[in-house]
Amino acid sequence: MHDDDGTVIKDDPADWITAIAMREDRAAFAALFAFYAPRIKTMLMRAGASADSGEDIAQETLLTVWRKAAYFDPSRASAAAWIYTIARNIRIDRLRQLQRAKLYALQETIESEEPERPDAALSSTQRADRVRAALGQIPQEQVQVLKLSFFEGRAHGDIAQQLDLPLGTVKSRLRLAMNRLRHLLGDLS
Amino acid sequence: MTIMHHPSDATLAAFAAGTLDGARSLVVATHLSLCPACRKAVRTFEHVGGALLDEAAPTGMKPGALERAMAQLGEPEPVARQARPSEENLPAPLSHYELGSWRWIGRGVQWRSVAVDAADGCRVFMLKAAGGTRLPRHRHTDTEWTCVFQGAFRHDLGRFGPGDFDEADDSVEHNPFVEEGAPCICLVVLAGSIELQGWMGKLLQPLIRI
Repeated sequence: MHDDDGTVIKDDPADWITAIAMREDRAAFAALFAFYAPRIKTMLMRAGASADSGEDIAQETLLTVWRKAAYFDPSRASAAAWIYTIARNIRIDRLRQLQRAKLYALQETIESEEPERPDAALSSTQRADRVRAALGQIPQEQVQVLKLSFFEGRAHGDIAQQLDLPLGTVKSRLRLAMNRLRHLLGDLS
Repeated sequence: MTIMHHPSDATLAAFAAGTLDGARSLVVATHLSLCPACRKAVRTFEHVGGALLDEAAPTGMKPGALERAMAQLGEPEPVARQARPSEENLPAPLSHYELGSWRWIGRGVQWRSVAVDAADGCRVFMLKAAGGTRLPRHRHTDTEWTCVFQGAFRHDLGRFGPGDFDEADDSVEHNPFVEEGAPCICLVVLAGSIELQGWMGKLLQPLIRI
């Protein structure tokens, strides 16, 4: 992980989450907030949220991290992946409330104990490094589609329109990316 | 249970990114609750989301943002939504929705509503078809996604048993047949409408309210 000057930060954000879970460590919360809240805000704004709404969701995400810290399993996800899923679920909940749909982030309902444990010997930071390295091995055109989908929250149809591609091409790029990621990261999750 | 038919990678990616509409999310979540392999695929995609978040350029928070967050740390957690007690061993994602009672809609076939106010015109329902039932040949004007919980049906593209996910689009015209034995129960999300084929289908069309 790098801070804003590009300096390598030695701390593992997973340790901050663990410190919150073990002893309600406010300094660890402040460190997590300083790194992730501004990045979540960027992600939400790229997905079309206003600055206020992006700020609000970033706040709620970090408060949820505080409350749910005990549920974080560093043998299963990197801190970043876990925080990403929390921000995503809050975004979905907000959208559904706007649509007044009786739906919410179903992503939360499917978590259950897996019989097969992933490789628990890897630290959260090692996991994050592996994912970054894997993304470096994927063709740029596939990474572009992953970014639009996962970071900017765009539906596949919108991505096709934006890149002026057939929908089938967007889907096949995702499939090719997934095949590669399964191969490179299959042991991580 | 051996699951043979899974959602496409593009569909799993959309679910992991949170860009799938609500009704389709429900049928995918139902499959995921039964399928460890697809849960793993979704987690792999979530790692991608995490890596992109780590690499993002920060946008400054408003002055005092951290202090405001810290001031709320002691507050009790908001009351979580209560899932209703699960009936008939339904997959977990469905336990959050109000289900209508079963109604007959044709010979051997029952239907029950799933109260999803889908904003985009999708309809969500469960079907229960008796063993040996042949459903009318039909095609769809858009997509029909189905997840089986119990029993099995077959059509041109294979056998669909518990946990299997059938992602049919408007290129598919099929004539599903329910295997002999236990009734087949599944969750269906339908976008567009069903067009029944043949004179029998045309007779039935107005009677089928789904």
